[in-house]
Amino acid sequence: MSSYLVPDTVDDPRAGQSSGERVIFWTLPAVAVIWIAAFLLFPGFVPPMSPRASAAEVADFYSENLSRVRYSMILFNWFCVALIPILMLIVERMRGMAHRTPVMRYCVIGVAGAAPIAFLTSTVFWLIAAFRPDRSPDLTLLCNDLAWITFTCGVPFLVALCLFLALAIAYDDQDQPVFPRWVARFNVLIAIVLVPAGFAGLAVSGPFAWDGLVSFWLRNIAIALWIVVMAAALRQAMARDRDHDPTEIGAAP
Amino acid sequence: MSIVSNLRANLRTDPKRELWFTWYSTVAFYSLYSVVFFVITRTQPPGKPWLDPEQTVEWFADRHGGLLFGFGLIFVLGGWSATAIALIAYSIRRMSVSRAFAYSYLVLYLIAAVPGFLLICIAMTAGALRPDRNPEMQRWLYDLGFLSFSGTMGVFLVGSLIWMAAILLDKNRVFPRWFGYLNLCNALTEVVIAPSWIFQRGVLAWDGVIAWWIDVAVFGMYTGVFIYLLRDVIIRDDLGTGPLPERPPGRPRRLHPLAKVLR
Repeated sequence: MSSYLVPDTVDDPRAGQSSGERVIFWTLPAVAVIWIAAFLLFPGFVPPMSPRASAAEVADFYSENLSRVRYSMILFNWFCVALIPILMLIVERMRGMAHRTPVMRYCVIGVAGAAPIAFLTSTVFWLIAAFRPDRSPDLTLLCNDLAWITFTCGVPFLVALCLFLALAIAYDDQDQPVFPRWVARFNVLIAIVLVPAGFAGLAVSGPFAWDGLVSFWLRNIAIALWIVVMAAALRQAMARDRDHDPTEIGAAP
Repeated sequence: MSIVSNLRANLRTDPKRELWFTWYSTVAFYSLYSVVFFVITRTQPPGKPWLDPEQTVEWFADRHGGLLFGFGLIFVLGGWSATAIALIAYSIRRMSVSRAFAYSYLVLYLIAAVPGFLLICIAMTAGALRPDRNPEMQRWLYDLGFLSFSGTMGVFLVGSLIWMAAILLDKNRVFPRWFGYLNLCNALTEVVIAPSWIFQRGVLAWDGVIAWWIDVAVFGMYTGVFIYLLRDVIIRDDLGTGPLPERPPGRPRRLHPLAKVLR
């Protein structure tokens, strides 16, 4: 069985050269601080805005909280895509997996790019809503709906990312896999938790509405947990890569 | 039984299991996509571009639950579209041409996911969510949904041409040449759809005989053909470099007679 399991690194002259990767990795705490700050700064997240609010109430929300909406969403617009370089570190680790083709890596690259772009699109709708607070309340409500639907339901790439990673790890059957097996099971669990958010349009109240326990709190906690756990797993995998490659500049002794 | 055990073997122990995973996922994704658009949401064939605002309100009311549930399915499973793109990108990488072709195809199609299917899901969900919204805005969402879906043209135009060029330049015989030319047909559908940004009635409107019926027929045929051919590529692939071997002996070749003539 293991005869065909040749890591896909052999044709890459840069394999193992991970200098610079730690620079990318350590941007993560900074990104996390900015995300948490922006999350708390946006007055529509704590508590989440209700889909049952009338056009007038939504318009009032934007007039009253104009600066906080703008600044928090500018922060998210800047830095939601800052996760992409971190995800590319995971993609680089996948080179060491016992796969015979790069096709799982291509799957992950694709959805890793699209997931933050979906988030970015929702910040655009929030910022348009806040751009002219004197606009007709119906139009503000429309922008607000588009923002919340994009933000809440826009999980297809995250779900796929988790499941592609889970399968890639399951297929990595070598003695010392790049990521431990439990990381695959963890990714499946996160994907399952994200599923109800996709159907948030079906409910305007209760746990499945976009301000509900499942579609808002559970979904966002799952994403935060995923980032923390994958960062820990990534750090271990990066450390092992460095240990195995003494030529790496600045490698730990 | 044999289909199930075949599937299990393909996905668990076959040396090409990653490729088989993407291939089965491609079939599953396009099947789901067809069911969601044609059956659950009934957004294909598309609504009429000339509806007045009140009629679009009725259109949304008529499909309320279907839109929310069907596009919910896409919101959850839409990322699966990456499997088809990854497999096609791999097929291009297996050719003798530069990897630039493969990466171009990958990036073009993956970025297209946002305008190509996410926007219609968002617009139609927003429309179905508030049936009492101002009718003018309901029509705006209706237009956004259909025009973003039909009118995301460039990626499929340039992407198909990239795949075509790669196939025609390839020395590894990954795909037959006639399929290279079929890519041109798919690229042309994206030219033909362009007037749907201008016309609200007639054969060139987004629901028209040319812009919709002919385009869907060509796209459907193209998709069916490439799914079949990708399977053929996986079977023949030796996971090495250089020309792709012919199908292993003992397996009957079942190419369409037309394909033999055109090869």
